[in-house]
Amino acid sequence: MLTLTSPVKTWAHRLPAWGKLLVLCAYTVLLFALQTPLAMAVAALLPVTLLASCGGSFAITSLRMLRPLWPFVAVVVLWHLWLGDSAGGAVVILRMLAAVLAANFVTMTTQLSQMIALIEGLARPLAPILPPRALALAIALVIRFIPVMLTRTEAIAQAWRARSPRKPGWRILLPTTLAALDDADRVAEALRARGGAG
Amino acid sequence: MEKNLTHIALFAALIAVLGLVPKIELLSGVPITAQSMGVMLCGTVLGARRGALAVLLFLVLVAVGLPLLAGGRGGLGVFASPSVGFLIGFPVAAFVAGFIVERWTAPVGIAAFTGAVLGGIVVLYAFGIPGMAFMLDKSLAEATALSTPFFPGDLIKAGLTALVTRAIAQMRPGALLSRG
Amino acid sequence: MAAGKQTGIELIGAGYAVAGKVILSGLDLTLTESRIGIVGRNGSGKTSLLRLIAGLVAPSTGQVRVAGLTPSKDRRGMLAALGILFQNPDHQILFPTVGEELAFGLRQIGQTEAEARYAVRALLASEGRAHWEDAATHTLSQGQRHYLCLLSVLLMQPQTILLDEPFAGLDLPTQARLARRLAALPQRTLTISHDPAAVAGCDRVIWIEAGRVHADGAAAEVLARFTAEMARLGDQDADTHLAG
Repeated sequence: MLTLTSPVKTWAHRLPAWGKLLVLCAYTVLLFALQTPLAMAVAALLPVTLLASCGGSFAITSLRMLRPLWPFVAVVVLWHLWLGDSAGGAVVILRMLAAVLAANFVTMTTQLSQMIALIEGLARPLAPILPPRALALAIALVIRFIPVMLTRTEAIAQAWRARSPRKPGWRILLPTTLAALDDADRVAEALRARGGAG
Repeated sequence: MEKNLTHIALFAALIAVLGLVPKIELLSGVPITAQSMGVMLCGTVLGARRGALAVLLFLVLVAVGLPLLAGGRGGLGVFASPSVGFLIGFPVAAFVAGFIVERWTAPVGIAAFTGAVLGGIVVLYAFGIPGMAFMLDKSLAEATALSTPFFPGDLIKAGLTALVTRAIAQMRPGALLSRG
Repeated sequence: MAAGKQTGIELIGAGYAVAGKVILSGLDLTLTESRIGIVGRNGSGKTSLLRLIAGLVAPSTGQVRVAGLTPSKDRRGMLAALGILFQNPDHQILFPTVGEELAFGLRQIGQTEAEARYAVRALLASEGRAHWEDAATHTLSQGQRHYLCLLSVLLMQPQTILLDEPFAGLDLPTQARLARRLAALPQRTLTISHDPAAVAGCDRVIWIEAGRVHADGAAAEVLARFTAEMARLGDQDADTHLAG
């Protein structure tokens, strides 16, 4: 399963995940405390510097991950231009971009296994209601079955296309969901056959 | 219980799959992403508790760095974006939708539609709009105005969720965990 | 590997019904032979019999004993007594990578992550597949997935292995390889199939029809009667009776 971790090995990859997360939380809190465009621009230099220190392709990937934000940026720009409040608009946009860049930096420099280990560690206090083994198994099952279900959904779509000139629409939702239910029963059985989840 | 675990895991996978398939086209040719229907289905099919856990599991995997949100998005960055309120609202929406299907004795289709509307629209936006307002420094009214274009699409999704839930109730009554 | 009564499978007056519908009834069997086959048509109840023996369901009447344990109750104890190879590997493989999939069973019986990994690496190396450890399970070919499921079962070293239609859907070379592998196994095997060829080499074959034991004895004799009956049914037009 492809993750968002960058294949480019950077200095940040070696840092412990919990440390990066802590700094990220502190940084995000700081961002929301700042009020002026100048302060925000200075604060935004941090993720930008981090990005730049990791090389060209890393930086480009990071910037590409900002693309889903453009509708928000557009709305804020138009809104604040219309109101004549460009300072307020700059604060919002800079803060948004800086927060997302910083968060993505942590994601891109941390291995999936490290993040999962962190989550399992954080969940340990919940052990009475959530056995850590169950959480680990659940995560593995999801990762295991996404490609399987994708292939099957594609097969269902093909079966549809073989019988209809229209594109498969919402009607494949039903077989896909039924397949998920059937799979859940069978996998539960396979799990029971191998000693259960307890 | 193994059945709970596998249903939660496989429906978390279902939400991911519904985000990874190409956009579903409605009759009018308007594309909608199927992923939020996956969230509502978790509630209406699995029930409140399991549905919410499935959505939470999905969010954990997104946070951990898997590109499972529609459009291949994922990682911690999505929790720092203006739509973070909606992400937080997803498991609550599933819970509410499931709660209504479980507790209300109306026919499954009606309960599922009501659950999908109350959970997937009312409750979801109750989280999403304040979240967006906070992140964009806007008032609640302004944030609501920004969200209104999405209501009709969401209403249709609620309808489809109800149709699918009702079909499952007819075809595999035992499988509908929300009506056990 | 002992094939005596202590590790054997016993069904005493066992029956299984679901929602009022009787699927299996009147089963009195003591299974201790090394190679046992169970044949029957689709819908005869043979898969339910497998589930009963494996403890995936509890009997509605009577008792089931495997190596002295009650399969439906003692799930952990059963791991050493019984391994199951299901028909479809995609319903059996639980983990995204080969290494995790193989290590799971060993973790289930209490080994640590390190111990399990060590054993998995040793097994893969002995099979000439050390490079499989980090491979993604969904990228394996169908034959490779069957093989992975078999390895997962063998790693647990159970006394008996249940095989549900092991050759269904496999191409001929894969069938031949699997058959050779299964024939060489030291533990008892119990093969369920609708195809006589899959159980022709067994010491004992049981024919299940309509949830009951229809015939039980040496392979050649039971299979001859089975094949004749299947041919006779095939000559008739299809069953039009609706179960509803």
